[in-house]
Amino acid sequence: MFIGTEKLTHTYMPGTPFAAEALKEVSFSISQGEFSLVIGPSGSGKSTLIQHLNGLLRPTSGRVFFEGKVIGFDKGELLRLRRRIGLVFQMPEEQFFSETVYDEVAFAPRNLGLDESNVRAGVKDALEKVGLNAEHIQSRHPFQLSAGQKRLVALAAVLSLQPEVLILDEPTAGLDPAGRRNLFNLLDKLNSTAGLTVLICTHHLDEAAALADNVLVLHDGKLVLAGPAEEIFARRDQLCDLGLTLPAVTEIMHGLAEKELPVRTNIYTLDGARKEINKLKGRREK
Amino acid sequence: MIEARALAYDYSGEEEPSSPALSGINLDVHRGEYLALIGPNGSGKTTLLKLLNALLTPSNGEVRVEGISTVDEERTPQIHRICGMIFQNPDNQLVATTVEEDIAFGLENLALPSAEIRQRVADVARLLGLDHLLQKPPHLLSGGEKQRVAIAGVLAMQPGCILMDEPTAMLDPAGRHDVIETVRMLNRNQDIAVVHVTHFPEEAAYADRVIVLDQGRLVRQGPPAEVLNDLQLLHSLGLQGTAAIELAALLREDGFILPPQLLHCRELVNSLCSLERKS
Repeated sequence: MFIGTEKLTHTYMPGTPFAAEALKEVSFSISQGEFSLVIGPSGSGKSTLIQHLNGLLRPTSGRVFFEGKVIGFDKGELLRLRRRIGLVFQMPEEQFFSETVYDEVAFAPRNLGLDESNVRAGVKDALEKVGLNAEHIQSRHPFQLSAGQKRLVALAAVLSLQPEVLILDEPTAGLDPAGRRNLFNLLDKLNSTAGLTVLICTHHLDEAAALADNVLVLHDGKLVLAGPAEEIFARRDQLCDLGLTLPAVTEIMHGLAEKELPVRTNIYTLDGARKEINKLKGRREK
Repeated sequence: MIEARALAYDYSGEEEPSSPALSGINLDVHRGEYLALIGPNGSGKTTLLKLLNALLTPSNGEVRVEGISTVDEERTPQIHRICGMIFQNPDNQLVATTVEEDIAFGLENLALPSAEIRQRVADVARLLGLDHLLQKPPHLLSGGEKQRVAIAGVLAMQPGCILMDEPTAMLDPAGRHDVIETVRMLNRNQDIAVVHVTHFPEEAAYADRVIVLDQGRLVRQGPPAEVLNDLQLLHSLGLQGTAAIELAALLREDGFILPPQLLHCRELVNSLCSLERKS
C-alpha cells in the first residue's frame, strides 16, 4: 500500500452538541504512480479525507498509511510527510499573500531553510513544470495574473518542494474551458511522465474521467464504491442515485446504446466517441 | 429592462496600464429574457455584471435599469431591488444565523411591515422548496441549497432580473442541476430576466440568447444553437460548444450527415439513430 487508510473515522467537534461524523470507517489503498479521483456530493467527506493523507487532520479513529507505514504526528515526521505529499486546496489563489510570483512560489523552499540559489533554482523549475515562463512571470504581482495563471502559480508553489504525491481539491473550479483542459493535461503529464501519484477531488468528470486509473466514491462520509475507473463508471444507475453524473460524452453513448445501437458505453472522450460511432458506419458498409 | 450604451470600464489604479476591462458594449436585456454570458477568464464578464446593477459605475457610456441611470446614487437601492445578484461562492453572501432570517435580510432593510416580510419569505421558500430548511443555520446546508437560499433572498425582493456570476462553479452535479432548474423555472413562470455568467456550455445552451465577450468586447451574440455552433470562434477563444456540438462537428468531418444546429445530447442521439434506421 503506497497511500491508504484503514477504518478511518473523523468526527468534527467530538464530544460537543455539534459533533459531526464526516468520515465513517473509510478503508482504501492506491499504488504509487496511479491517477485517482475522489468523487461524491458536496458534504460527502472528500476534503476531510484528503486532509488526512498529509497529516493536516488526525483520525478520530483508524489509521492513515504512507509507503506502507502508519503516519506519525511528531514534528519531524509531519514535516517529511508534507514535503513528499503536496496538497493544493480549493481556490488556492485566495490564499496568496506575497508581493510577487517568485516570493509566493519560494515560500515553502525558504521555510525549509534552503539557501537562496537553491530556492531560485527550485522556483524556476516549479514554474516551468506548470508551463509558465519563469522570467516573464516571476516578478509580477500574483493578482495581476489571469485566473488560470493564478491556479498554475498555486500549483507551482506546491511543486517547489518536489513532492512525489500531488493531492488537489477541486483544481478546476471557476476556470474557463481552456483553463480546465490545460490544468488536466498538466496533471496528466506530471503523472505519466514525471511519475507523480495524483489524487483529485472533483465534480468535473467531463475532463477528469478519461485520466483516472481509480475512483473512490464517497457518500455521507462512507466509501460506497472504490475500484478501477472502468468498473466504477460502468455503474451508471448507482452513481446517478448518489447524485453524480457521468461525462456528457458518456451519456451520449448510453443514449445510443439505449436505442439499441451496438456501441460501447465506457467512453469518456470526444475522440473515443468519434471512433466508436464511426464503427457503426463501417459495419453498415460491410 | 436594462440598457447598456457604449459602455466602458477601466480598473484605474493598476500598476501597469492594462487594456480596459470593458469597452464599447451595447446590450439590452429584455423583460423575461434568459441571457448567458460566456468568455474566457478575464474577458470582462464579472465586470459587466457588476456594471448592470450599479455595483460598478461606467468609466464611459451609460447603463439604465428600468430607465434609471446607474450613476444616480440616490436611486441605487432601487436598482439593487430590480436587479439582484448571485455570486459564485454561496458562503460569501449568506449573512444570517438561520435560512429564514437570511431570506428576510433584504426585506428588513426595506423596513417592510413584519407581517409582509413573513408572508414573502414563506412564499419564496415554498416556491423554491426551502420550507423545511427555514430554521436551519445556512452553513449546515449543501452548496446547492445555499445557492438556492441566496436566490430566495433575491427573489423575496420581487426583482425583475437576476444576475448570476458562475453560480454553479462550486457545486456538485446535483446542486448544479437544482440551481439551474430553479432559475429556469423562475424565468419561465415568473417572467424574471436572467443574466447568467457561465463556463459551462451545457448551461448556456438553455438561454434565449448567448453573448460572447473577449478582451472586454462583445464579439458575438445570438441564439445558443447559432453561437455555440460557431466552433471556430469559440475554439479561438479557448471556449467550447456542448459535448453534442463538439462530437457532431467531428462526425461531420467523417461524413455523417447531421442537422447543422443541434445543441443537446438528445438531439445528437436522435439524429444518429435516424441515420442508422435509414440505412
